Amino acid sequence: MVDLLQKAAKNYTVRVFVQAILTIWAVATLTFLLVREMPGNPIDVLIEQILTQEGVSYQEAYDRVAASFNFDPDASLLDLYLSWLGDLLRFDLGTSITSPGTAVIDEIARFLPWTVFAVGMGLLISFVLGIILGMTMAYYRDSFLDHSLSLLSSFMTGVPNYIWGLLIIIVLGIQLDLFNVGELRGTYDISLTPGLNAAFVLSVFKHAALPITTYVIATLGGWMLNMKSSTMGVLNEDYVNVAEARGLTDKRIISAYVGRNAALPLFTQLTIAVGFVLGSGVVIEEIFVYWGIGHYLFQSITVRDYTSMQGVFLILTMAVVFSNLFADLTYGLLDPRVRISGDK
Amino acid sequence: MTSEENVNRQTAPNPALAILLIPWGLLRSAARFLRRLRSNVPGMIGFIGLVAYFIFTFIMPHIIEFDGDPNLDEIVGPIGSRIQLAAHSENAHLRSFEDLAGKTVGVVDQTGGPDLIAPYADSLTIETYRWTSRRAGPGLEASLIDLANKEIDALLIFSKTVTELIDNQEDPELKALFAENIVITNPELGPPHLLGTDTQGRDIATHVVHGGRVLILTALIGGVISTVIALFLGSISALTGGVLDSGLTALTNLILAIPRFPLLVVMAGLIQFNNTLYLGVLIGLLGWPSLMRAIRSQVLSLRERDFVEAARSLGLSTNHIMLREILPNMISYVMINFIFSITFAMYEQIGLVVLGLAPINDYTWGVMLYFGRSRGTLYNADGASMALSPVLAIALFQVCLVLFARALEEIFDPRLRTAV
Amino acid sequence: MNKRFMVLAAMLLVFAVFVSAPALGQGATLNVAWPYQVPPTGHFNTFASGGITLGQYQDLHEPPLAVLLWASGEYEGMVAEEFGWDADGNYVITMVDGNSWSDGSAMTADDLMATFNIFRLRGDAVWANMSGIEKVDDSTVKFVMDTPSSLVERIILTTNLRPASVFGDIADRAAMMMSGDDGWDALLEELTEFRPEAPVSGGPYTILPDTINEASLMMELNPGGFAGDIQNFDMVRMWNGETEVVTPLVSNEELHYITHGIPPTTEEAFADQGIDIVRSGMNNGPGIYVNHAVYPLNMVEVRQAIAYTVDRIQNGVVSLGDSGVAVEFMTGMSDGLSLAWLSDDTLDALNTYDHDLMKAEELLQSVGFSRDEAGMWMDDNGDPLAFELTFPQEYADWSAAAENATAQLNDFGFDITSRGVQFQQHPQDIYSSDFELAIRNWGLGDPIPGRSYLQAYNRYNGQGEVAGEGGGAGMNFDNNVDYSGGMVNVFDLSNASSQGVEKADQAALVTQLAVSYNELLPAIPLWERYTNNSLNRNYISVPDSSDSIYANFGGGADNWMTYLILKGVAAPADM
Repeated sequence: MVDLLQKAAKNYTVRVFVQAILTIWAVATLTFLLVREMPGNPIDVLIEQILTQEGVSYQEAYDRVAASFNFDPDASLLDLYLSWLGDLLRFDLGTSITSPGTAVIDEIARFLPWTVFAVGMGLLISFVLGIILGMTMAYYRDSFLDHSLSLLSSFMTGVPNYIWGLLIIIVLGIQLDLFNVGELRGTYDISLTPGLNAAFVLSVFKHAALPITTYVIATLGGWMLNMKSSTMGVLNEDYVNVAEARGLTDKRIISAYVGRNAALPLFTQLTIAVGFVLGSGVVIEEIFVYWGIGHYLFQSITVRDYTSMQGVFLILTMAVVFSNLFADLTYGLLDPRVRISGDK
Repeated sequence: MTSEENVNRQTAPNPALAILLIPWGLLRSAARFLRRLRSNVPGMIGFIGLVAYFIFTFIMPHIIEFDGDPNLDEIVGPIGSRIQLAAHSENAHLRSFEDLAGKTVGVVDQTGGPDLIAPYADSLTIETYRWTSRRAGPGLEASLIDLANKEIDALLIFSKTVTELIDNQEDPELKALFAENIVITNPELGPPHLLGTDTQGRDIATHVVHGGRVLILTALIGGVISTVIALFLGSISALTGGVLDSGLTALTNLILAIPRFPLLVVMAGLIQFNNTLYLGVLIGLLGWPSLMRAIRSQVLSLRERDFVEAARSLGLSTNHIMLREILPNMISYVMINFIFSITFAMYEQIGLVVLGLAPINDYTWGVMLYFGRSRGTLYNADGASMALSPVLAIALFQVCLVLFARALEEIFDPRLRTAV
Repeated sequence: MNKRFMVLAAMLLVFAVFVSAPALGQGATLNVAWPYQVPPTGHFNTFASGGITLGQYQDLHEPPLAVLLWASGEYEGMVAEEFGWDADGNYVITMVDGNSWSDGSAMTADDLMATFNIFRLRGDAVWANMSGIEKVDDSTVKFVMDTPSSLVERIILTTNLRPASVFGDIADRAAMMMSGDDGWDALLEELTEFRPEAPVSGGPYTILPDTINEASLMMELNPGGFAGDIQNFDMVRMWNGETEVVTPLVSNEELHYITHGIPPTTEEAFADQGIDIVRSGMNNGPGIYVNHAVYPLNMVEVRQAIAYTVDRIQNGVVSLGDSGVAVEFMTGMSDGLSLAWLSDDTLDALNTYDHDLMKAEELLQSVGFSRDEAGMWMDDNGDPLAFELTFPQEYADWSAAAENATAQLNDFGFDITSRGVQFQQHPQDIYSSDFELAIRNWGLGDPIPGRSYLQAYNRYNGQGEVAGEGGGAGMNFDNNVDYSGGMVNVFDLSNASSQGVEKADQAALVTQLAVSYNELLPAIPLWERYTNNSLNRNYISVPDSSDSIYANFGGGADNWMTYLILKGVAAPADM
């Protein structure tokens, strides 16, 4: 038994896995404490909203909120934490405070797919485009094309993604009136019946088009430049020179040697980008009124729904940690050089 | 200088000195950089842009006054809107204030018109109209009817009102009356609103001029703090190794695992600053880990280089190696990342402001954007200037920073230099 | 890469099939909107949060006992046929016969008993004034009162009736128990977690559970329910969502009436399209609150000077367009209530504090204040009139009001800095007296005038709950005031004016409240918020906007649209 444990401790995979779990636990604990330190609590906030918007009396607002809320302001923090942690071990994220009886995991399941869809599509398109453009830049370096693409990439990375979003809305949507911004809000046209039909699928893509475009623009520049420098690095490696000396065609060299080797390091960055884009989606989704996980997080923060906030943080953290883990573990599989050095 | 002093300086264990060396390094790099910049067009554009931004946001506010006076009739005025002079068609020769002497002139309150006419009040008769007819007193439409009926000789009126009440008049009788009797004799009487006016009828251009300083300072603070922390912890971690190194690495990994922007959202809600500049401190305190990681590996790799090995074999102290051998070789790298961390800090603080989670007490570009969004001007073709102006100001500033940083990168990073 | 595409394709497929809804019926359909939660979040327990109550449209499936006609101040019976105080000061309600619930059970006094027993279990405020309820006969219930008041009458009459066939079990058990008994808390929890399988309607329409999705839900005619026999629509389609979502539906003319607050720019677009904007005063709005512990804000002259300085018309317009209507009478309640409750003589004698910088100047000079060389005001101690004005920054209209008031006051020589605070924190700052000037709301969306003063004299003056610490000092205003009518305690007055049932007695108290407020201005009202409902008259026929029913702004109870539906007046328009 002890022997097995020792072996396990030495195993790289097990070690990073345990590390990942510990990280998630630490972040979960931290967020548990942080969100509860924010000013206000769910009851006060909803009462305040009712009082201000509807102008009813304090007592009336309190009656409407307090009796039906799944929240006890006087509960001990430690008890709450332990019971939450216990639930977590059973993969139970608890129930929402502001909507008692609703499992947080159900809410996340409702909002997350839209974000995964939009962010996934955005990153995928920009990654593929970036690799192609980056290699092009490397091959035609110092040409006019290289310089203009490089300038373009500075624009794309420099301007914050939500500013791109606003520019799309203001310039393309309102000033040039190319599309109706109002109709593109939400995740699909709510007058359609969700289901597997052309109209609905089309409307899903239509509604995601603006966030996807924004994610593509905002991340494309980075991929281009990284791919360019990565390609240039590979081009200088000996085996490429050898291949050239052997008289292989440029096309063959690009597809067989350079492209693959140059793109490898970018896969690692892709996993990091996932985390970043998921996180910054809060602003994008608010601007486009796209109901993904960022929108849900923002709403939860606004009404101080602690359990929902914890749930979203946990999911986002897990996304980051596990994509990093995935990158760690697969990098060796993808890159033969790492595999060899990993043996020693 | 005696050799003794030299020795003292080398052995004084003060890593903070490393920080003091940054300005010196910056100056040296800047001189070198400027010489090379001339051949780098995008970098030059970025550099000139940044200088222009500096002048624009730090000097111009002293020259151009912030327009804080609400003008009801100019609410969401389109770009280029201004006060015009309308006259009865028989008085078409009335074009300037001087021409108005001895005449009866109508002004509409709360449009800026009364202020314009005030200096000439002695020489003419002023008839005041109320912009709104909710209260007693002649309203806007009355002013035009009076003008058409020659009750008054001329009228100071806002260009948008002219379009709305004269050009787009729906009542056919009034339209005919106005068309027959009213001419715009001077379409450029009042001050122009270069970028139009906001939801309170205030000049947006002045807001743009005043809106950059605090944002840029905040971003600078954020950038400096995160870079300094990253540099300090990164080099300590790499040079010391051992428990400290693994501890710091673990901490870095932990912070990097938390989605950064949502964490900032929670922290900003938790801390509640009143001063935007404190936001820069928070951004800096949360923003160092990825740079720290990069610097740590830079130092680790530099440590293996021959010249450092040589210095070490000579028995020179860690401080000396750090300050004299490693740091100078990293200055450009740190500088580039410093600029990128400014862009990050800019990104994050404005993101917070746009969501309404950061202090909105200084009227910055971010706050203009926040109000523009929350008051619906985003979706109003006429009023988009309120949101579009700060959007462009922010976008161009960020682009200038990135162009400049890229130029630095190309000039200082040998691998990227054109002669690979 | 191929794998990724496959995963995406699979995800898409899952998306596409994960929800489906049956086809929807045709016929004359009323298209309105209210945000609701889709099951499982949303459910049919209308006593618990997350229940699909549909806001003001709850009246359509859980009919109210009566509706107050705001213009006349009279109640019109709905489910209650006769209602009123008996000789002993108890309230007696007799219900209309012959209505039934959508599950077939008859609508009787048992439903009313069940509804109020559950209120008691929930600890609703109405029970603070009641000692019990008694079923007199199958259609009559007697509410046994401790203290009769127009307030408790209002709460009873605006109650939405719930079916005993659904809630009767819990209600009966609650009726057997006292608060604090064993099992009381467990029963309360049972109520909160109770999830009826299907909605049961007693009104003209009933929710079709199968049609509920993210987009909308359908309600079909419930012929046996209250007013079910006089309806002009066959169906009601209730669109789901907040303003951003429903706005495009209104411009597409798929949705014909919304109560959602829309920004002025949207209003313009709708108006261009021929959509009517219906406005009703909401009896409340933002005002400038002052901390009376801060010198010289405790001086009445200074507060009056502020009132003269700030142009309220301008402030309202920049904040909320045509829906920000300047307060005229400055009595601490809305102009509508002032007109309804104060005599003409009283109204004439009120100071309306019209924008007048000269008056403000005189007032400040009268207490020894003067301007320095730069034209800024100094108080009698030579200190500048420098204050901080805080406001909840998430509220677009209030932040505009704050920004504008600051600009106007500073133009006049005050030195105000405005500061946005997160809306979760802002009221806490006021409760704990941690402010100098603040934008908070005056008035209450309630037709009982005395209750409007609860904000200034109660909530923001010592009764607001400071998180975890009980009441703070708030605005530090002494509720014992000395005004031209003598010494009174305004808090007691505002409570007393909601008690009793004689309108004349109440009006006398309200007059004292209004006049003292007008003289002393404990807080300075700026403007009243008006609704800006969007109504497409090409689809819905309702009386034109001069009708007095539009005084019934109705955030919850008494809404004019639900009233017109219940009366069978609202009808499809002839296109």
